[in-house]
Amino acid sequence: MTLRKSFFLSFFVLFIFSFISDVNAQYEDVRCKCICPDTAVVNGTQSHRKLYIENVPPNKCDCTNVVLPRVGDDIKGKEKEFCPRCECKYESRNTTTIKVVVIIVIWIISLLVIYMLFLVCLDPLLNKKTTTQYQEHNNEEDESETHSQPLRASGAGVLNRVGQTTDKWKKTVQEQRRHIYDRHTILN
Amino acid sequence: MAKLPSIKHNDNKIISNNIVGENEDVIPGLGQYDDFQTIDWQRDLARDRMRHRYIVKHKKDSVWDFIKAAHDAWSGWMCLFLVGLAAGTVASIVDIGTTWMTDLKYGICPEAFWLDREQCCWSSNQTAFGYDNCSQWLTWPKLVGLSDESAGGYIIAYISYVLWALSFAGLAAVLVRMFAPYASGGAIPEIKTILSGFIIRGFLGKWTLLIKSIGIMLSVAAGLSVGKEGPMVHITICIGNILSYLFPKYGRNEAKKREILSAAAASGVSVAFGAPIGGVLFSLEEVSYYFPMKTLWRSFFCALIAAFVVRSIDPYGNEHSVLFYVEYSKPWIFFELLPFILLGAIGGLIGTLFIRANIWWSRYRKQSRIGQYPVTEVIVLTLINAVISYPNPYTRMSSTRLIYLLFSQCGVANNDYLCDYNRNYTNVNGAIESAAAGTGVYTALALLFLALVFKIVMTIFTIGIKVPAGLYIPSLCMGAIVGRIVGIAMEQWAYHYPQFWAFRGECSTGDDCITPGLYAMVGAAAVLGGVTRMTVALVVIMFELTGGVRYIVPLMAAAMASKWVGDAFGKDGIYDAHIALNGYPFLDNKEEFDCTTIAADVMQPRGNAPLTILTQDSMTLSEVESILENSKHNAFPVVISRESHFLVGCVLRRDLMLAIGSVRRKQDDISDDSLVIFNGFVQGNPSASSPVKLRRILDLAPITVTDHTPMETVIDMFRKLGLRHVLVTHNGRLLGIITKKDVMLHMSHHQRTIPSVFH
Repeated sequence: MTLRKSFFLSFFVLFIFSFISDVNAQYEDVRCKCICPDTAVVNGTQSHRKLYIENVPPNKCDCTNVVLPRVGDDIKGKEKEFCPRCECKYESRNTTTIKVVVIIVIWIISLLVIYMLFLVCLDPLLNKKTTTQYQEHNNEEDESETHSQPLRASGAGVLNRVGQTTDKWKKTVQEQRRHIYDRHTILN
Repeated sequence: MAKLPSIKHNDNKIISNNIVGENEDVIPGLGQYDDFQTIDWQRDLARDRMRHRYIVKHKKDSVWDFIKAAHDAWSGWMCLFLVGLAAGTVASIVDIGTTWMTDLKYGICPEAFWLDREQCCWSSNQTAFGYDNCSQWLTWPKLVGLSDESAGGYIIAYISYVLWALSFAGLAAVLVRMFAPYASGGAIPEIKTILSGFIIRGFLGKWTLLIKSIGIMLSVAAGLSVGKEGPMVHITICIGNILSYLFPKYGRNEAKKREILSAAAASGVSVAFGAPIGGVLFSLEEVSYYFPMKTLWRSFFCALIAAFVVRSIDPYGNEHSVLFYVEYSKPWIFFELLPFILLGAIGGLIGTLFIRANIWWSRYRKQSRIGQYPVTEVIVLTLINAVISYPNPYTRMSSTRLIYLLFSQCGVANNDYLCDYNRNYTNVNGAIESAAAGTGVYTALALLFLALVFKIVMTIFTIGIKVPAGLYIPSLCMGAIVGRIVGIAMEQWAYHYPQFWAFRGECSTGDDCITPGLYAMVGAAAVLGGVTRMTVALVVIMFELTGGVRYIVPLMAAAMASKWVGDAFGKDGIYDAHIALNGYPFLDNKEEFDCTTIAADVMQPRGNAPLTILTQDSMTLSEVESILENSKHNAFPVVISRESHFLVGCVLRRDLMLAIGSVRRKQDDISDDSLVIFNGFVQGNPSASSPVKLRRILDLAPITVTDHTPMETVIDMFRKLGLRHVLVTHNGRLLGIITKKDVMLHMSHHQRTIPSVFH
């Protein structure tokens, strides 16, 4: 069981570390988004540029500060015609939340995968002595609560209880599997 | 004349006339239910009322009792507040996880791997060319060194797409099989059955919650034709179930718990769609069995809290918390109601086709060898899905993006093929001129039609596989495609024939008057209505999904047309059809039952078979035990004696077995000859062994009808009171018993559907 404990401890440490990382300044949390038609509307030469994005504070989020620096050469003198046709919006987001959530999801999935591998591979090896007891109960109709708990190697009290809870949970899952995969009674 | 039984109470316990009192934990397990059993609504509600009376009466005894009374009063609101918080949090996590994982199939953002493609390119100032690829987003071909446009790059992208999809789907299937098999599928038929009073242990448990949340992220990210709305309802109901155990008022009383579950279902739709009011109506119309006014308020509150939490966590920087926000510059013209109704009819037809095909395939899967290889089935389905959907850009993108694309109006910033009209944009803020469709539009239409056929076929085979899967988004997607095609046809008709009488008014100016996006929205509502047969909830969800409050009338028209056309072919929506397929003991309380049979025609025992009864004080313990062993009934009526069958009460099998077991364990002077006393006093000479007193498990007020009661009334009683059985008397004497199973068999014989009653 110390194996399990050391696993969890190392994962926990790595988990904390993954939050302490530096993010490039290209992934900022605010932007000003301007949508403009072609500059060809005012006899400019550039075309097919319709979206302009820049990081400016909200009071500077308008045509003059965001769009004109890019296309100023094209529409020299006709800014007053071009700018009203543009629509500028200030948007903000929160990448920290995304980072936290994605890392949590990755951790949960990896924990589940590791636990699954443990249950499939290591657990039968560890419990070879005690599994012979309850293999035959699999396909009985008897659903009453009179199954006796399989004997477990007498260890410390807490471990015994953890073992018993795991056994009960395994039996529940086996029961569910029977209903869904074998007898097709629900969730078809 | 006997005194009317009254509620006596002393300091320690309350004894009531017909219900087990507070000390039911003396016999452990009494009052709880077994797996796959129906609950006794009346008993649980009466228990709750009694508990409430006790608390109120003792409110003034001490400060502690006062606090207990206050806790009892606001425990419902507190519970739902916590449920709303948890539901909003889990929904946000699922949303963010899904968005990230979906884009993993295409590439990765190298410096910030937790961002999806849109967020990676968010602040780049190179997005002038379009949203698809910016330099910061590292697609998988680029990782290997090939460019996106080359043939080698295309193949690498294709292969990596398929491999990612397979690994996501495989992982989901294996996790479901390993940890929580009840987390598969959409679960709404099972939830309907549970809320009508059925118990499925483990269906709303912790592991099911965890695996369903992770599984739905993986299923959607694998590109399968699934949505996450049905699973979100299951997830929030799990949360409601788990949190209700914190409040014993709800945790220990199954009937009261269903109030919390109904409210939790409302919050599920609220967070999945961003539609709180739609969620409440969905809970009312689709999912809940009993929905009193109190549940209406509670659902509203829970949905509100959940929506608030989602809104506050939302990290994506959109001003609108609405999922498919659309704003059309022109309203609809009156003539368009005709194509909208036509769309509704098409939606009804598609819905009926989908239901029939899906039920056929589910039944086949249940009975054939495919059902024995669930994980393999998932992987094969994902493989077919990924391989066929990659080449078509409209199936390659996620269903949610496709729906949003189809709903939106072509504008300056939209440079998809679908918007390749021969028009020039001169002003972002002005009206869009009417234009002929360019070749891009026709290409897009052909591709969309192929996408529609593919989606219908794939969804038929996907709903029912053993990974979490919902069917709202696929239905909306199918309908949006149909709607957009019809909308573009209408638009081009209006452009080429502006002199037609219908278009003469608003369309004679050069501006575009037909908005294909609106048709897509109406089509989506029509198909979803055809599949689920919702009406009010559907319209409210649609206009909350899109923010288009001005389009309620088209949506209502389409919803009604869809329901009428769909009902003409078959009354069942997809959920009722799955309930019938699985044979759940769900007594539909919305249909009318029209028949002239009476109670005597339906009751058990039939013919001259003897009625299994217990007598109130003349049976020995061994006789009672042998009756329990030799019969399978769940309830036994208790009569005065074998000669005179005047009814005394009713006792349940489970209570009887628990009580006898406890008595045998605790009392030493019990033998097989001990008399079992249900009511009344020990007669005459006491025998050698002391009697078994089972007074407390006898229900002295069973619901009875006479043998001439029409079955319509009996069925009404079953529905309205939530009964499990009813005793039939004749001239005051017991004649027989009608159970819920008998009622359902009778109804199905009468309506000639195939009965396959569960247990």
